[in-house]
Amino acid sequence: MNIESRKKALRYFFGQVVGPLGFKFTPDAELMDFLLEQEVMLEGKHGIPFCPCQPLRHDRARDMQIVCPCIPFHRKHFDAIKRCWCGLFVHKDVLDPDKLPQLSPKEVGLE
Amino acid sequence: MSDKFIRAIKADEVAPGGMKAVELDGNEIVICNCGGKYYAVQRRCGHMNAPLDVGTLDGVYLTCPMHCAQFDVTSGEALFGPVPHDLGDEIPPPMLGGYLQNIGMLMKHVRTESIRTYTTKLEAGWVQVALGSA
Repeated sequence: MNIESRKKALRYFFGQVVGPLGFKFTPDAELMDFLLEQEVMLEGKHGIPFCPCQPLRHDRARDMQIVCPCIPFHRKHFDAIKRCWCGLFVHKDVLDPDKLPQLSPKEVGLE
Repeated sequence: MSDKFIRAIKADEVAPGGMKAVELDGNEIVICNCGGKYYAVQRRCGHMNAPLDVGTLDGVYLTCPMHCAQFDVTSGEALFGPVPHDLGDEIPPPMLGGYLQNIGMLMKHVRTESIRTYTTKLEAGWVQVALGSA
């Protein structure tokens, strides 16, 4: 399988999901490319493009909540920090993702 | 094989996002309407020969109905192999478990190959396919 072709396909599929949720791909092209590549690797290994920044716990119910794009499962958290955990997606109004802090659910008062 | 174009379907037979299987000179082909642009690919999946026309077409990405192998219809390139099944915590009955284990072992050796593409052209309301092209 060609990694670049798969990245292009994932980008197409993810774009359709995150757009209506109010998110877009990060404008940081290098980060986006890196994260998509990691997801292609994870998909090749597990058959599923898991979030590259979250550990797999081999608990299916929990692991299914980190399948990219995992926004619907962590909506309140991501809305609070205007980005998803790994930063592949940011709110549509975000122009400079570097200014967004990566805060845990506890830090934004969700736990 | 020649590059002679053969009429496959009328252009309005397939709505955008749709597919239709045809047989042309013994070749099983799927015509894909990707937003008004037509592509033709072999009908049989590059993984286990399932009929791709009963899969799903999203943009230019065709997903096999059998094991969800994915292909780019513009190039025929295999983008992803079969999605593994997960029975969760359910323990299958012993006979079924043994069968699934055997199938799983065999499936590990099945490669997902890219699929063949054919050149198309739209003329006089017909989607035409050149069988000799790739």
